[in-house]
Amino acid sequence: MYLVYVDHDGNKIRSGTLEVITRARQLQLAKPGPISGLVLGQNVSAVAEEAAGYLDRVYVVDSADFVNYVAEAWVAAAKAAWEASGAQVFLAPASRTGRTWTARLAARLGAALLEDTLNSAFEGDRVKAQKYSYLNRVTETQLAALPLVLTVKPNTTPLAEPAGEGEIIPLSVTLGDLERRVEVLEKAQEEAKRVPLTEAKVVVSGGRGLGGPENFHWVEELADLLGGAVGASRVAVDSGWRPHDEQVGQTGKTVQPDVYIAVGISGAVQHQAGMNKSKLIVPINKDPEAPIFKIADYGIIGDINQVLPPLIEEVKKLKD
Amino acid sequence: MKFMALIRQIPDAQSQIKISGGKVDLSGNTLIIDQMDEYGVEEIIRLKEAQGGEAVVVAFGPERTQEAVRHALSMGADRAILITAEGYVDPVSQAPVLAKVIAEEAPDLVFAGGQEADWDSQALGAVVAEALGWPLVSWASEIELENGKAKVRHDLDSGSEYVRVTLPAVITTQQGLNEPRYPTLPNIMKAKKKEIKKLAASDLGLTENKVQISEQAIQEKARLGKFITAGDDPAAAARKLVELLHEEAKVI
Repeated sequence: MYLVYVDHDGNKIRSGTLEVITRARQLQLAKPGPISGLVLGQNVSAVAEEAAGYLDRVYVVDSADFVNYVAEAWVAAAKAAWEASGAQVFLAPASRTGRTWTARLAARLGAALLEDTLNSAFEGDRVKAQKYSYLNRVTETQLAALPLVLTVKPNTTPLAEPAGEGEIIPLSVTLGDLERRVEVLEKAQEEAKRVPLTEAKVVVSGGRGLGGPENFHWVEELADLLGGAVGASRVAVDSGWRPHDEQVGQTGKTVQPDVYIAVGISGAVQHQAGMNKSKLIVPINKDPEAPIFKIADYGIIGDINQVLPPLIEEVKKLKD
Repeated sequence: MKFMALIRQIPDAQSQIKISGGKVDLSGNTLIIDQMDEYGVEEIIRLKEAQGGEAVVVAFGPERTQEAVRHALSMGADRAILITAEGYVDPVSQAPVLAKVIAEEAPDLVFAGGQEADWDSQALGAVVAEALGWPLVSWASEIELENGKAKVRHDLDSGSEYVRVTLPAVITTQQGLNEPRYPTLPNIMKAKKKEIKKLAASDLGLTENKVQISEQAIQEKARLGKFITAGDDPAAAARKLVELLHEEAKVI
């Protein structure tokens, strides 16, 4: 009935997947049925075993074809697992890549697609879900019948607790011509060592007010002390201070952490589109008229250069 | 070669969104081409300028989308096709309609915006690629054509990589792909004579939506607004903020 994509880092399940499993369990209360999982990768038996602690069945494709992400290969494997499990609802974390390939999957299955959902529940035979639209300013309610592909916005749902011991089922997927039309070459920029931006509970972002890339070490240090991710405003990215994958906003990523610390960011509408739903917003900015203060909870009006060093010291003291 | 960009018209980020009768009401909004789609338009013009061939824009949306189409033509696209449909059409339902038009045009590359500033969807490029049976590369920031293939730099969830994709293919845009040009006056004049072919989505087999929107609302979170002015004692302000986050908000 339910099939969950198990996102992992090669060794462990990512927290976004535990949110997805909770969503599947919530749907299961209204319409009972087994919850299966799909693990893709090479040498992923540890991940499969961890996943089996949460799920009824875990389909595992353990193959060199699934080391590098290619949307078409992921779709082929998900379709094979969909058929093997007899699922009617496919659920996955709404990461950037997750939202891309699951959309393709929905089209292949002829299923409805509910993207980046905040919550989800059956209403009769249809699933009702809420999501943000219009640059995070509108909350809308959507309805769709089964079969259904649904992605779960990170940081919206409690993490699932382990339950039971599921069966691990090896699945073999033969890739065809379409799946081989994208060839992965070299990395252009390595994956960040920190927690992924969209999953982070704490995000520390820097902008124009930092004055240059040389001052971003403060943002990084603060993010590391708080176990968070580093974000950047459009100015910081356009100026070449930071890579694109750190950009928060209309043309970047949307985040919803417990705390969003905005350092030297004025907070134009385009930036707010990527962070206005954060639980707490904490700007540090010398301009009290900066729009970010209008949507903020705590903050300091002051010169970043003078505030950040003692702030980092205070956080360090707290950690000790 | 033939290059194609899919575009949509959306409310300008600066203009306030209004709700009436439980639905978004765009009657008072400034409507513009989606910025993410504009990267695609710029890219097809650049590719055409470098490789020769044709730069074609395909728009999907209500009649008013014509203004966004004119903008793309003023930037330098050669001609446009506008597929008209009123109201919300979910991406999975849009895909076969767009694919029908695209397949007939048989371009080498199709660009779609990485995300939509109205429906906040990231699905369009992916579902169109599926309907065409073409490969897809999402979140592209660099493209280089080489013998029937394209080498593309694109973002992953974290970090980025190069891939080589066989054409025809669908590519979704990412900020940084290019800097879209402003239309010049002569190009605005020229664009007035360019062809916009209009087709109705219903004539192209648009069926019922797979997703219905039942309600839209603006829910603004009440914010605390507790700010400390650093003044002459930034160390004290820093100490106070950490204290508030630790003891009051309990988040660090």
